[in-house]
Order: sequence, then structure tokens, then C-alpha cells
Amino acid sequence: MKIVKLKKAFPGVIALNEIDLEINKGEVHALVGENGAGKSTLIKLVVGAYKKDSGEIYFDNQKVEFTSPAQAFQSGLSVIYQENSLIPQLTVIQNIFLGVEHFTSLGILDEKKIYEQYLSITKQLGFELPPFEKVRNLGVAEQKLVEILKALIHKVKFIIMDEPTASLSENEVEHLFRIISELKSNKISVLYITHLLGEVFKIADRITVLRDGKKINTVPIKDVNREKVVTMMVGESLKNAYTSVFTEVKKREKVVLQVKNLKRKPRVNGISFELFAGEVLGIAGLRGAGKTELSRLLFGADRLEDGSIIINNKPVRFRSPLDAVNHGVSLVPEDRKKDALILMLELYKNITLPTLEQFTSKGVILSGKEIAATRRAIEKLDIKTSGVKQITRYLSGGNQQKVAISKWLQANPIVLIMDEPTQGIDVKAKLEIYNIVRKLAETGVCIIFISSEVSEVVKVSDRIIVLSQGKISAEFKHGVSQEEIMRTILKEE
Amino acid sequence: MEKKINLQRYLYIINKNGILFIFLLLCILLSIITPGFLSWVNILNVLRQSSIIGIMAIGTTFVIIGGGFDISVGSTLVLTAAMCVGLQYYMHWGLAIVLVLIMGALIGLFNGFLAAKIHIPAIIATLGTMTIIRGLAYLYTGGYPLYVEAPDFAFIGTGYLGPIPFPVILLIIMVAFWQFILERTRLGRYTCALGGNKEAARLSGVQVDYYHILTFVVGGLMAAMSGVVYASRLLSVTPLAGQGYELDAIASTVIGGTSVSGGEGSVVRTLVGVLLLTIIANVFNLMGIHIYVQYVVKGAIILSAVGFDTYSKFRQ
Repeated sequence: MKIVKLKKAFPGVIALNEIDLEINKGEVHALVGENGAGKSTLIKLVVGAYKKDSGEIYFDNQKVEFTSPAQAFQSGLSVIYQENSLIPQLTVIQNIFLGVEHFTSLGILDEKKIYEQYLSITKQLGFELPPFEKVRNLGVAEQKLVEILKALIHKVKFIIMDEPTASLSENEVEHLFRIISELKSNKISVLYITHLLGEVFKIADRITVLRDGKKINTVPIKDVNREKVVTMMVGESLKNAYTSVFTEVKKREKVVLQVKNLKRKPRVNGISFELFAGEVLGIAGLRGAGKTELSRLLFGADRLEDGSIIINNKPVRFRSPLDAVNHGVSLVPEDRKKDALILMLELYKNITLPTLEQFTSKGVILSGKEIAATRRAIEKLDIKTSGVKQITRYLSGGNQQKVAISKWLQANPIVLIMDEPTQGIDVKAKLEIYNIVRKLAETGVCIIFISSEVSEVVKVSDRIIVLSQGKISAEFKHGVSQEEIMRTILKEE
Repeated sequence: MEKKINLQRYLYIINKNGILFIFLLLCILLSIITPGFLSWVNILNVLRQSSIIGIMAIGTTFVIIGGGFDISVGSTLVLTAAMCVGLQYYMHWGLAIVLVLIMGALIGLFNGFLAAKIHIPAIIATLGTMTIIRGLAYLYTGGYPLYVEAPDFAFIGTGYLGPIPFPVILLIIMVAFWQFILERTRLGRYTCALGGNKEAARLSGVQVDYYHILTFVVGGLMAAMSGVVYASRLLSVTPLAGQGYELDAIASTVIGGTSVSGGEGSVVRTLVGVLLLTIIANVFNLMGIHIYVQYVVKGAIILSAVGFDTYSKFRQ
């Protein structure tokens, strides 16, 4: 696999800037970088999920231009994502052979031949799976194995693994690594994408670091150590540029929110913290560390298994998001399309949805008041739209995110939780959101700012906690460097 | 980019109001082809024929906008109509109507409970209740037609206020009332919100289950009201009545541009959908075309209306 000057731009941001990358036959090549560095864009371009702007991709010495992941798969290129792409109702063997079943001359499934091939390949790789078990009854690790087997049966020459260990236990990870080395000896190349540097040093031959859509370097693994890789990921000159939105660290005067020993297995395993009026609390951590799950617990979107939440010295118990809203807690969810917005509805209907009560008199909605409030919201957050009645779907990502935030401002929250509020939006919109966060904090709102982009957590927070495996693993004050937090996060493996 | 967005908006507007254009076009065309089509008598006739399905379809519209589906309304019509007649043996017709409307609302409550709380897919939940209610209608009537002699009660289905039939007035009032509810009250707004994206609505602090159930209550209530009009018009009810009415109500709703997947729609446009179907039947009758052909044409209209909606969404 050879990639030459691959480039992709989204409106307002260059996601990948002329990346060159070469991966040899039978090589395990690690691709690392912070969130937003361009790793997933790179994969999507390679397998044809996105269309590239320019550049060339060679696969097996041939120039290729895949138009869909399915086409890439048929040509011998498989991607194993964090979430699996198996069909849960089918058995292991049915999944593995899906699309390449053997048939007898009468067109009937040749179960015997299928089973023989299954046996020979599992023997070769040295692992066992229950072939006639339905995939939904398997554990996550076993499902990963099924996916790998499926790729092998389909005669794949190149496997891309996108954070494959995110939901695996230690033993399962070991098992996966053994299989990867087995793949290697079968001359299959692996492009391994991860946040966890420990894994990289265990299995990779070479490592490529991406940062801000640019390739920093490709080096053989034996020539670098962990320190060097972190520095490559974070960059050295960036630290100083981070304080621009920050005015002053808030004095801790009044405790607004106390959270004690929150639990909901498996992702939240006893989290306690306090939040002061007007404070921005940043929460950092890897994918799967429990950040989103914590935000949902605080908002009453999921049931609490154990622990307590105290707001302004009063214990509260949220049975639904409505309870949370009534107690002054608001959440801007991570997935704005799925959880935050009703895309088919007009802008103003989205903005007034949580606070519709304010706009009704004797049960009747006062359209004039509603539209005036929407106009103010558009002005306040500078939402680019053709009008209050524009269908929300047609707004750009950054503007949709502003709508997701501004719908809560009307509710005058005491605590505003924002989960990945800058995901998938361009640099300028990000900066505007940081400013909104700081301004809100100045008016006394407490903000919980959750992000897997450490650079922005450092930038907007008065205080930062790092989550790891559903627990708080470290706490920092404003002024801590991005590098230090990255180090804490990566140490947790 | 700009242009594309404009095109999308344009498509959206056509999609939203296309049914009105088609309806007006058809009316103009028909008034040219068929003399007597635009006569006062025929217009009132079409409206009166539309009143029962029209009232029922209001409820169906609410259910579908809320992301649900209700195929039990035809059975609800027959049970409530039979009860409305049968109860008059023991009480004043006014009281019978009130009881029957409550009955409809309770059926809706049960449907909503099954869909929202037990999480049975709405079409299956109402398939079950459809069968149960039809069975109850047979049990109630013993399988025989019920009759009633009540000139006062008959006014609802056959009377006139001035030159206009009472069921037509009732239909227009109901359409106006529920369109207002849909556009200008929280019930209406939340119905759109939960049909558009239930989880986002929940995370905005909307009591989604409560409102989801309420849409079914509206569906049952309006089915019962159409049952009252039906009973009053015929003054006799057999347990076989009302079969396929739910399909006409659903067809009118989707022809009226209510999104099959929920989130958007309009009671007024549903009325246009009802009128469209009635007019086609009306004209075919005037022209002497066999009823079998009508079925084919009706099916084709449903497919083209819904196909336009779903395909233009797919293209986005």
C-alpha cells in the first residue's frame, strides 16, 4: 500500500494535507495522533467512504480508487472498526462466509465444504470459536476474532484496525496481538490505529504520527521511545497559543454541584467531584473512559446504579431528563444529529423545544414571542442561517452545534454539561464555542466541558479531571500543559 | 452549494404542498370533463361522503406525525358505533355519545400504552387491538345488526344547519380545531418533535412517553367520533361495518404529505387527501367506471404520493 500526497478538505478545515504513507507487505504499521489529527479521515479516504480531493493510492502496485468500503473489501482491503459490523442473528460460520459461501452444483449450500474450510483456517491460526453459535451470544473479543476470520476467508491482504482494543479485556488484547503476529507471518499487512502507545510498542514495526491533518513523521519503532512519540503528537510550539480565550481563573466560592460515588457499570465506576459557581470543569480521557456515560447520568438520561447528586445543598434524584431540566441541569449531547436536534424541524422549533412552557399562554404557543427569542439566539451565537424557519438539517455542522447549545441558554441552566461540543466543526466555530463557554461561566453558570481533544480542554477549563476506566485518575488546575495531560491519559494502559 | 440548498428547499415546498396543486388541478380538470361536478349539490355530497373518514383521519394524522401507526381505528369505529346505538336502549343518546367517546379515548390509551411502554411496534400493537376490538364488537352485537329509532340523534349524521349538512360542519370544525392544536399547542409541537427524533426530544426534557400515548388517545377519540357519525347516519350498525376504513384514513394522511416516518404533517392537508380519494370515487361513479378499477387507481395514488416523499428523502 502506498499513499501519495493524499488531500481532503472539508468546508473551513483541511482534514488531511498531502499525506504520504507507505506500508509494506506483512508489516504492522501503527497510526497515532490526537483526535482530529486526521486518522479516521485517512481510513475513510483509503476505503472510499469519502472522496479524496487529490492524491493517489496504490494497492498491490496498482493504482486504485475505491468508491465504497464494500468495493475495497472485495479487492482485499478490510477495516475492523471499534464497533463490529457482523450480523448478530447469524452464526459465526454464517457470518464468516457471508457472500462467499460454497454451493453444490445444484446451487444448494455446501455446508460440509464450508465447515472444512473453516476448520483448516482456524487450525492454521490456532484459535477456536464455537462455529454454530449466534454471534450475538459471543463476547466482544470473540466477535473481533470473527471479523478477522471473515476478512481472511475473503482473502484480504490488508487489514485496517481502528482502535480494536477499546472494549477488550487484558487477556483478550493479548490474544488479539498473537493473532496479529500470525497475520504478519501470513504476509498480511496491518494498519493499526490507536491512542494507546503501549500497544504500539508491543506490536508495531513502524509508526506514523499525524497532527492537525499533517504527517509529522514515519519512524521504525526501535528508533523512538514513548516520550518522543508524545512530543510528536502534541507538538512543542503550540502551548502558548492556548490561553487566548481565558480571562481569569474563577475563585472557588460557592459549591453548586456535588457528585458522590456515581456508579453505572461498566463505564462509570465511582466518580466524585465538586463544581463551583461559574467554574468550567474540563473532563478529558480516552474513548470508552466513561465521559459520555457520566454526562448522561448527571442529566438523568440513564438510571443511576449508585451514588448521589447534590445541587445547591439539596440531594436530587433524576428519573428522567425532564427532572434534570427542572433542577437546572442541561446537556448538550455528544451526537448532535442523533440526540440533540430534530433535523427535520425548523430552527425555531428546535431552539424553543426545552423551554416551550415559557412561550405558551393558557396552553397556546405565542409564535411571535417564540420567533423573537429565536432571532435573539441567532444574533447572540452568530448562527448562520437563512431565517428562523430554516429546516435545521440544512445548517452546517458548526451552526447546528450552536443551535444545540442555544436551545439550552433560554432555560437558564445552573449546570450546563457539554459533551464533545466541538466535534466535527471547523476551527473558527470551535473558537466561537470556547468564547461562549467562557462568557457563560462569567455569568455564574457551571459548565462541565467534556472533550477528547486535550488541547481544547486545557484551553477553556478552570480545572480538569482525567477519567480512565470510569474513575477519576488525575486532577489538574488551569495552566497545566496539554502534554502533561496526554501523558497522564496515555499512562493509564 | 447555495443552489443545491435552494433546490432542496424548493423540493421540500413542492413536497409539502404538492398535494394541494394536484387536488386543484384535478378539480379544474374534472369540472371541465364532468358537467355537474362543480354543482353545489355535488360539492356538498363529496364533503358529506368525506366526513366519516375525514374525522377518523385527523386522529390517524396525529398518530403518524408522532411516529406511530394505528390500524385499529376501523374496529374502534364499529365498536363505538354499535355501542352508541346499543346504549340508547338504556339512556339518553347524549349520554351514550359521551360514553362512547370516552371508550374511544380509552382504546387509544391502551394502544399508546402498548406502543410506548411495552415497546410493541405500533403497527403490531394495533393489529392485536384491532382484532380484539372487532371481536368485542361481535360479542356486543351478538353478530346481528343493531337498530335505533331516534330522530334527534339522527341529526348528527343526516341533519342540516342552513344549507350545509351537519357532519360537514362537524368535520370542518374538527379539522380547524386539531390543526390549531397541532400548530399552536405543546401537544402539537411535542408530537412533531417526538416523531422527528424521539431521543432528542427526551433529552430536551419532553415527556415523550406521555405525549406518545396522547397521540394514540387522539386517534381513538376521533375514531369514536367517526363511529358516532356513522351510527347516526345509518341508525343501524352491523359488526361487519368499518372494515378497511383505517386503510383509507392512513392513505388520506400519507397522500396529504404527512411523513410516514413521523415528524411532519398537517390536518388540513389530510383533509385534502380525504377529499381527493372521495372525488376520485365520486367521478368514477359519475362516469360509470367499475369499482374494481377504483381500487387499482387508489393504490397507485397511495404509492406515488408516498414514493415521492420517501424517494426525495433518500436523495437527500
